[in-house]
Amino acid sequence: MRKPSFERGSRLQYATLVLPGMLIFTVGIIVPMVLSLRYSFTSWNGFSRDIPWNGLENYKRMLEDPYVRDAWRFTIEFAILNTIIQNLFALVFAVVLDGSIKGKRIYRTILFLPCLISSIVVGFIWLRMYSNVLPAIAESLGLGLSLRLFGSPGTVLSGFLIANNWQWIGYWMLIYVAALQSVPPELYEAARVDGASKVRQFFKITVPMLAPAFTICIVGISVGSLKVYDLLVSSTGGGPGRASTSIIYLIYNTAISGRQYGYGSALSMTLILVLLVVAMIQISALRRREIQL
Amino acid sequence: MRKRTTNAVKDGPRYTVGTFVLQVAMTLIATVVSLPVLITLNYSFKSRKELYLGSPLALPQSPSWDNYASAFSRLSMGTTFLNTLLYTVISVAIMALLSGAAAWAIARNKGRFFKFSYVYFIVGILIPYQALFLSIYIIGFTLHLTNTVYGVILMYIATGMSFGVFIMTSFMGTVPIELEESARMDGCSVYRTYWSIVMPLLKPAFATLVIMQAFQVWNDYLMASLYVSSAKLKTLTVAMQTLFSQQATDYSTAMAAIVIAVIPIAVLFGALQKYFIKGMTVGAVKG
Repeated sequence: MRKPSFERGSRLQYATLVLPGMLIFTVGIIVPMVLSLRYSFTSWNGFSRDIPWNGLENYKRMLEDPYVRDAWRFTIEFAILNTIIQNLFALVFAVVLDGSIKGKRIYRTILFLPCLISSIVVGFIWLRMYSNVLPAIAESLGLGLSLRLFGSPGTVLSGFLIANNWQWIGYWMLIYVAALQSVPPELYEAARVDGASKVRQFFKITVPMLAPAFTICIVGISVGSLKVYDLLVSSTGGGPGRASTSIIYLIYNTAISGRQYGYGSALSMTLILVLLVVAMIQISALRRREIQL
Repeated sequence: MRKRTTNAVKDGPRYTVGTFVLQVAMTLIATVVSLPVLITLNYSFKSRKELYLGSPLALPQSPSWDNYASAFSRLSMGTTFLNTLLYTVISVAIMALLSGAAAWAIARNKGRFFKFSYVYFIVGILIPYQALFLSIYIIGFTLHLTNTVYGVILMYIATGMSFGVFIMTSFMGTVPIELEESARMDGCSVYRTYWSIVMPLLKPAFATLVIMQAFQVWNDYLMASLYVSSAKLKTLTVAMQTLFSQQATDYSTAMAAIVIAVIPIAVLFGALQKYFIKGMTVGAVKG
């Protein structure tokens, strides 16, 4: 057996393997979080020496601020619709591309590739698609459709949903494909022997076996959509008007351009709270289902 | 994209009418999905005049590399490309090393400190740095890290640690503990054991983490736009955003810039896609 002193010495050595990463993580993420919390109770402008405390003023103010309300509405609509649409299509494509169709790898690769492109670039590509390419195609086909989706407040959300789904469906699809492929074929054979229909097999075998993938995809898409920013910067810049101003975009405008650093920090804290609450609710609900099944 | 080998039953001969209908539908969908990419490629070879005359689907009349040459100089590609590469390679390498070491130490110890460390790192997965960018900027400003090479690298390491520890911990089961124990019995220090026994065994895990994180850093915009604003330190995404906002009319140059920026990451993906998919699906596959 090892001697206790040797044990303790090596435990200290193990701890030194954790510490450098922990230190950097603390400086880069944890300290900023504490700072955000602190600044959220001030009316600091971001550069002056004194940082005036103003208690809960920022939080009270945001409840009545129409800019905040609109930014949250855009962000939440974007997140909810993305979560539904992306999961649905990703799952359907995964099932189809796990079936008897030919050339599966080619389809999977084509659907997957857009997620390798930076969101800044995706925003610009779709800006050009809506403002130049699609209208020209519609015109040459003689269609009277207006495809300038980024041009009006009523359609800008749809425009971004198309762009974001174009970028990410293939990514989540591959996660579902991997999960589908991990289902042991014996399960299906046993079900077939028992005379279970295809539909019944899907709901009684496939869906339960996909539970961990559902958790990852649902949480991943919601968190990813709630932090949308890059996509908007290179396309609409938050417009028309402020119809596509997401919460992060608003934080940027408020704090960096508008010099209201304290207020921006308070908005940041509410975003973090929303992110944590949404993820916790989803994880606990989905995990409970995983265990039941 | 791994092919199933065991399931002859499902992949088998039954290519029915239904399958054919799905085949046609998927072909249409794949065509529509690839359209923006093909159009980007097509435009990158078109002359400025052709942007306004003729269909966007028409091939360039006299394909030329002019847009590429112009994109190269307008983005100061020599500088921005190398900067992005430098930040990506160094930050990802250090992050992988640190999170591998931390994950291993956490997996091999049961003490309170190690349990706490795990939770401490993992909470960060649910908090994207974008939600904290204001204070991340302030702390960089206070510590004189903004507009420095090491500042932006440090922040990329910090923002990757949670994911790194998560991925590396999930791979720890693949390292047989017996090897380590015998090394330790032979008098290897903890560090030596990590460096010469554990790290080589974790190669697939490192490949997975490195490629996933390299994408994040290469494609990142917000951190780079906050931390490196001086011309000498700019990244490709920041330079591209500047180009995009100036190029409302002459977007063929921008299209060429996009192609140049996407190529390295597409090549990296092609080379390491097995690991990339492994990293995506950690936790999603039962057993």
